[in-house]
Amino acid sequence: MPTSSRKSLAPVDPRRLRLNDPDGSSGTLLGMRCLNCEVCVFGEAIFCQACSSDNLESVDLSSCGILYSYTIVRVPPDGWPGPVPYVLGEVELPEGPHVLAEVIDIDHADLQVGLEVRLALEPVQAGESGPTLMVYKWAPSAVPPALPQEG
Amino acid sequence: MTQFKPNREVMVVGVGLHPFGRFRGKDLATLAREAVLEALKDCGVRWRDIPVAYFGHVYYQGMSVGETALASLGLTGIPIVNVENACSSGSTAFWQAYWGITSGVFDLALAFGAEKVPGGPVTVTAADSPERFIGGDHMMAGYALRMRRYMEETGAPPSALAQVSVKARQNAALNPYAHRRETFTVEDVLSSRPIADPLTLYQCCPTSEGSAATVLCARDALGSYGLDESRAIRVIAASLTSGNYNGRGSDHSAFSPYRTEPAALAAYEMSGVGPEDVDLVQVHDAATIGELQQIESLQLTPKGEAWRATVEGRTALTGDIPVNTDGGLLAMGHPFGATGIRMVHETVTQLRGEAGARQVNNPRVGVAQCSGAGDVTTVQIFAR
Repeated sequence: MPTSSRKSLAPVDPRRLRLNDPDGSSGTLLGMRCLNCEVCVFGEAIFCQACSSDNLESVDLSSCGILYSYTIVRVPPDGWPGPVPYVLGEVELPEGPHVLAEVIDIDHADLQVGLEVRLALEPVQAGESGPTLMVYKWAPSAVPPALPQEG
Repeated sequence: MTQFKPNREVMVVGVGLHPFGRFRGKDLATLAREAVLEALKDCGVRWRDIPVAYFGHVYYQGMSVGETALASLGLTGIPIVNVENACSSGSTAFWQAYWGITSGVFDLALAFGAEKVPGGPVTVTAADSPERFIGGDHMMAGYALRMRRYMEETGAPPSALAQVSVKARQNAALNPYAHRRETFTVEDVLSSRPIADPLTLYQCCPTSEGSAATVLCARDALGSYGLDESRAIRVIAASLTSGNYNGRGSDHSAFSPYRTEPAALAAYEMSGVGPEDVDLVQVHDAATIGELQQIESLQLTPKGEAWRATVEGRTALTGDIPVNTDGGLLAMGHPFGATGIRMVHETVTQLRGEAGARQVNNPRVGVAQCSGAGDVTTVQIFAR
């Protein structure tokens, strides 16, 4: 992994994404699992969405999932910092949650429901003078993955 | 599930509408008041007899706009409640008015809604939300995700979804209050500007300005106010739900295509009528796919088959389940806070037999269904 003299990057949302190294080249999606009913959710939870139990544990979620649906967004919402059009994917993780994020490194012609995708991180400038944040995205699994390191 | 114990029978006695479109010269309170005056005129109820009012709107236009809108009619000191429940704000205001009467607290109630909105794609989260950088906060992209999945699972062709818009414009062409009244073809819809594939511009509702109002009264109090029962329409169910856990983990609209089901089941149970009894329906067609999945959630067709019903003309004015008879969100327009009340207006107008050129044949039972961010869903059932 190349070293960087830049200061440590921040994840776009620390409740959903942990960076595994200072340069933000790898990361892990975060979730919570209910110890009462086994339901798993993406991101932070204090109470289980399914049964309202507060007996939850933090879990690392899979870095690979299946493209449940997708759209090519040609008119972006206010504040969108990236190029247009962009591909938005709804990805189903093996643990159950669906995670919405941009799909990168793919030709539009190759998009299809059921495609295997993997987690990919990219720096995004948050607003004109905002910080650079590492944002979780999806990329086709067929592209050599930058797998999260053990850690 | 909630225990429904409606007590007094509730009727809609007056409805009023301001045209939907863009009205630069009118502020929110002015828009709202005009529909209220229409509704009061429609039933002959005096403003000074209204004991409570509920006002739905979403975009911030200053505090206590409901009070501002009504103050010019006279400061009568009544409780006025401002309601924000996303796209279901107006229908939530109606829900509150219904329960205020059936519970026995009030004889009469005013429910109204209005909106002034910016143009462009609608977002749900705050401007500094991480969702803005992730790219998921885009209402029409959420509908596009549902549409892609629906087409994949059901085999519905793009032309079937476009037909929803074609039908909406045909109905709106007969409605002088509608925002978009020009008709177009399936080809026009499919070749319009792409917004979020497979959704094109003409498959997305416009953001509109406008207002709607309705006056409700307890049936046992109609005589006290000299009201005409022959034009009054019974409210036989009013349900409101928020997100149920659906196994996918988030309440984002993309994840919940059939979120209307619990509200629909509750409303059918409460009313004692079933899908087979419904003669016309207004549903939340913010995008074409929305109409299809709401029809299916209301059990008016089996799941995955609303697109066939649409292609076969069953949802047209002359079909067996006319849907969005005034043009719906797609063509009537979508001023968030007014939309739920506008659906009541259209349903009542149809059940009274006063819908003119777009009148459906002798309807007895009508349904109005509204959806909003946060999985807020309302279903109301009306009968004459």
